Amino acid sequence: MPKNTLKICIGTPCHLMGASELLELINELDQNLRDKIELKTSHCIDDCCEQAPVAEFNGRIYQDLNPEKLYKIIRDNIR
Amino acid sequence: MGLVFEEFYRSIPKAGEEVCGDNVEIIKKDNKTIIVLSDGLGSGIKANILSTLTSKIASGLLDKELPLEEILSTILATLPVCEVRGIAYATLAFLIIDQNQQLRLIEIDSPSAFLFRDNQVKKLEYQEFELEGKKIKEANFKFQRQDQLFLVSDGVTHAGIGGLLNFGLGWKGAAGEIERTVNKNQKDLKDSINNLVKIFNTYYGDQAGDDFTIIGMKYRKKRKLNIWSGPPLKKADDKHLAQKINNAEGKKVISGGTTAQIASRELDKELEPGLKYYDKDIPPTSKMKGFDLLTEGLLTLNKVLSLLKKYKPGQIPVAGKDGASRFTRLLLESDSVQFFVGRAVNESHQSLNLPINLGIRSQIISQIAEQLRRIKKEVKIEWF
Repeated sequence: MPKNTLKICIGTPCHLMGASELLELINELDQNLRDKIELKTSHCIDDCCEQAPVAEFNGRIYQDLNPEKLYKIIRDNIR
Repeated sequence: MGLVFEEFYRSIPKAGEEVCGDNVEIIKKDNKTIIVLSDGLGSGIKANILSTLTSKIASGLLDKELPLEEILSTILATLPVCEVRGIAYATLAFLIIDQNQQLRLIEIDSPSAFLFRDNQVKKLEYQEFELEGKKIKEANFKFQRQDQLFLVSDGVTHAGIGGLLNFGLGWKGAAGEIERTVNKNQKDLKDSINNLVKIFNTYYGDQAGDDFTIIGMKYRKKRKLNIWSGPPLKKADDKHLAQKINNAEGKKVISGGTTAQIASRELDKELEPGLKYYDKDIPPTSKMKGFDLLTEGLLTLNKVLSLLKKYKPGQIPVAGKDGASRFTRLLLESDSVQFFVGRAVNESHQSLNLPINLGIRSQIISQIAEQLRRIKKEVKIEWF
């Protein structure tokens, strides 16, 4: 069972601001890193649509993401 | 439960040609359906123009409900005749079926129709007469509940020339293939047409030697579709709307992430947002028990609208696993469509500064409804 949970918002604003690229990043992660993460999507995370795209990693919300930022967040916070 | 007459066709251009020299026109009216098939001499653009011209003239005249003799003589007088070969530049077959299931079929130079009845393909009984020096075949009969009728262009009866067979499939050969295919799956006409196209193409060795078209038609039960899109203005309506769609008869679709979350909360059902992008422009679909499809809202609806605008009656709906294609298919496969539209403004969209025509849900849904009415679907919209 993966120890980490990543939730990516795919609501309209987040989609327009690049949520699909975030999902793509997860699918391209190294397999041993990928295996540690349980991936979910959501229709909205915490109503912070102005700061799209938004994701939640292990309970903490991150805004205004791009694939590089998300990768860094995962690398630094993975359990 | 009422019945509807459904028809599907596919036209395949000769290998190497961009356009098909056959043309199909379908006109759905409140009390009847008119189907016209024309095959232009030769292939490519020239054939396409000739068949389009012929079928457009015919369907236009039929649409105006002129007497049949007048229509026929007008068409025959206007059809250009090839100087070298002395034959008409395009063939023509058309049929009219009214709400009493009475069908009238006229064929000029085209292969006889195939009637599938009692698990067998039969030839219709024709009366022949001459008009303007042309031999015309006419058939009148009552279309029965389990009947299926197929019209083809001569590319089908000639299938195999230059491929597998020396002299082509012929009417009997084509009838055999239709009988075999339809017997496998009598319910799904689209599927039968797709399979038949594959079969006839195979006879040509996947290099069609002529344009070919196959049109199939039959009766089926009416289908109902219910769609909920957008949160209602009054929060008190949330529960009411959720239960309304949950208890509705027919298939159920929710369009909009927030709407899906409301439904999940009010109905106490688990919402499972999807992960997979089948199309980069269309957000993934979600799942919830009891619902046939849950899509994202605005972008998906806009894409659905653009797909519907391109749709011609009788075409087989777009394939594709993304939310918009699936939504469009559900709409096209249904006969009566009920929209429940919430008009609450989605605050999150305001931050995006979307172009105004992309941003207003009620406008997009009105336009979708307009497109559905164009192809004679029954549409009702309730605003909340």
